Amino acid sequence: MRSRQPPDTGIPSASQPSHRGPTLSTAIAFENVSKRFVLERDRPRSFKEAFVGTLRRERQAQETLTALDGVSFELEQGGSLGFVGPNGTGKSTSLKLIARILEPTSGRIVVDGGVAALLELGAGFHPDLTGRENVFLNGSMMGFGRREMERRLARIVDFSELGRFVEMPVKHYSSGMYMRLGFATAIHLDAEILLIDEVLAVGDQAFQHKCRDRIAALRRSGISIVLVSHDNAAIRELCDRALWLEAGQARAFGATETVVEAYYASMVAREEARLAADRRAAGEAEAEPNDVEPEPDRWGSREVEITGIELLGPDGQPHEILLTGQALTLRLHYLAHQRVEDPVFGIAIHRDDGLHINGPNTRDAGLAIDAVTGRGFVDWQIDQLALMSGRYELSAAIYDAAAVHAYDHHHRRYPLRVRASQVGEQYGLVHMPARWRHQPLAEALPAADRPEDG
Amino acid sequence: MSESSTAAPPLPGRPEPGSAGPGSRGTGPAVSVAGRERRLAERLAELWRYRHLVGNLVVRDLKVRYKNSVLGFFWSLVNPLLMMAVLSLVFGFIFPIGEARAPHLFILVAILPWNWFNAAVAGGITSITNNAPLINKVYFPREVLPIGVVLSELVNFLFALPVLLAIVALTPSVDFTRHMLWLPLIILIQGAFTLGFVLFLATANVYYRDTHMIMDVVLLAWFFLTPIFYEGSMYDRYTLSIGGQAVPGSRIAFIVNPLASLIANYRVVIYGSMQGPPSAPDLLFLGRTALTALVVLVGGYWVFHRYSGQFGEEV
Repeated sequence: MRSRQPPDTGIPSASQPSHRGPTLSTAIAFENVSKRFVLERDRPRSFKEAFVGTLRRERQAQETLTALDGVSFELEQGGSLGFVGPNGTGKSTSLKLIARILEPTSGRIVVDGGVAALLELGAGFHPDLTGRENVFLNGSMMGFGRREMERRLARIVDFSELGRFVEMPVKHYSSGMYMRLGFATAIHLDAEILLIDEVLAVGDQAFQHKCRDRIAALRRSGISIVLVSHDNAAIRELCDRALWLEAGQARAFGATETVVEAYYASMVAREEARLAADRRAAGEAEAEPNDVEPEPDRWGSREVEITGIELLGPDGQPHEILLTGQALTLRLHYLAHQRVEDPVFGIAIHRDDGLHINGPNTRDAGLAIDAVTGRGFVDWQIDQLALMSGRYELSAAIYDAAAVHAYDHHHRRYPLRVRASQVGEQYGLVHMPARWRHQPLAEALPAADRPEDG
Repeated sequence: MSESSTAAPPLPGRPEPGSAGPGSRGTGPAVSVAGRERRLAERLAELWRYRHLVGNLVVRDLKVRYKNSVLGFFWSLVNPLLMMAVLSLVFGFIFPIGEARAPHLFILVAILPWNWFNAAVAGGITSITNNAPLINKVYFPREVLPIGVVLSELVNFLFALPVLLAIVALTPSVDFTRHMLWLPLIILIQGAFTLGFVLFLATANVYYRDTHMIMDVVLLAWFFLTPIFYEGSMYDRYTLSIGGQAVPGSRIAFIVNPLASLIANYRVVIYGSMQGPPSAPDLLFLGRTALTALVVLVGGYWVFHRYSGQFGEEV
């Protein structure tokens, strides 16, 4: 039996006894593994096509898709590995190779230990069978007999929180119940290696947290974990190694922080290039100045107009994606069609779900602007952006001195994307620059309680 | 299959299979190596570890089959009775099958094994392709699926056997004899033949989906070409001259069609012949059938084994 997991305190326990002993052997090894798929349309699907194919001997060269191209890595037992990379670069293919659902085209894969693959929660459930019957069916897919599963049933039902619903056919389950049962079954099968493909992204918040907690606990108990996720926070939280795949090739393999950081940088660069291209395309389309159609997210009398917003990074250059903890300047460009006295410039930041985060303006901040004529800009400068990763929306507005009459109000019109890559934090909405301190008070322990004393 | 198998040296310091430490058990092999041929013995050992899955698939099939039906399990018993009624009607009144005593039993004793074969083949062909979601997401030895189909149809056949025996008891012109003790052996031979055939067809259907379309017609023809509602001796109207020697048609039929031999054996141990009482099967005849079945099983498994690694990407 596997040792029971320690209570989930969130703090890794160094004293956790390893049931594997001190030797670190390999759990998974890829040696120069490649996987190529023959693309569907070139393969005969019926006798007729095969027959016609043999008649036309000049068979065009088979078109193949290289999903993995000479990938090598090794994961020690008890280690945890996260695959990162854009879509379609072989992450899921790698998991399927480890799970032996696919076989490599060339190269060698060694897997030491029983594998539980959570590629899809509840894969193999039969809709007409009850939850309990499906647990046994699923268990036998992992090679477990009835008696072995009976021992686990209570724990599985308990974890899944299904209660008496376990006696009901799973076709009547909600998708949440279905997934809970699938997850509960998979993690109680005592596999040495757990493969997880994006399944953490499903289910409600509470279930997601429960899954993550349990995976973290399994990891502490010495199980090897391989995770594929686009959620870099999950990779950071659960993995100590990361492998960055790009077009089927390993771009980087090593400590999670380093690899994820490098992947981030490349992703940000790529996304900015894409957004710039989008903007150029949009700019060309909107070249006609005649914008008289009503805009629901913009109002005001327009004596002075906001003509544009720029997000300037620490390098003074415009960026689409900003980083937590870095300097940011928000620049409001205006054009006054006539002289406007005592205008008030303001902005607001909302999270994309509507949470109103702030709303500073020049009047409250004590910046008096006597009058504006013609063109100009107003800067709002932040030394350290406090927002954590997420999508936000910017509003910008120019009001009269009493902040009652709108000259021009752009309501939640501008996207603001933030990534928290360098601040050593991942949860919540804001990053508050702070320091930790630890002060042990050894003398406070009474002598009698001290171990190894006397 | 894997050109790399010879090129890759074993990893230094790999533990031997089975010595992977106290944690390794239950879930699959201790060490699996993809990218090389696995030996037959390994495959069979792995299959044995997954015996519970075979059992569960059989139970699942049976449970699902009778769910939402009023008679439920009793269909297994009622079905052969109804079928016998229909066949007695057709071949007793419309096309009388000659001077057979107890014509209903003459037919039933043949139609039950045929039904097993027919259902196992029809279900087994698509056992891989219809389970694509499973094959794409979970690893297990793929042969478990066709084996499950053949076995669950076997269970259905076994449920019907007591009905057959009850009818024997109720039929005055046919008696129980000790020759019925040959039944388990005959069933085993049929199981081996059916499984081998199904393994082959299931593999073919992954690559060519026409297979199960074609098999619909083939099974229909096969049904009429197999001596089910007639005796094998019907074929003796024709003789074939091989090397100057006249070979009776029934010999040819039995050589070409293993199912004809199997059904003739069922008939001889339960019913006998049209004229005579049940007797022991001709051992040479049964032996040849067993050999054919074994060849088909080994061949079918070999083909399946050869291609099953690619099922994950083909279905």
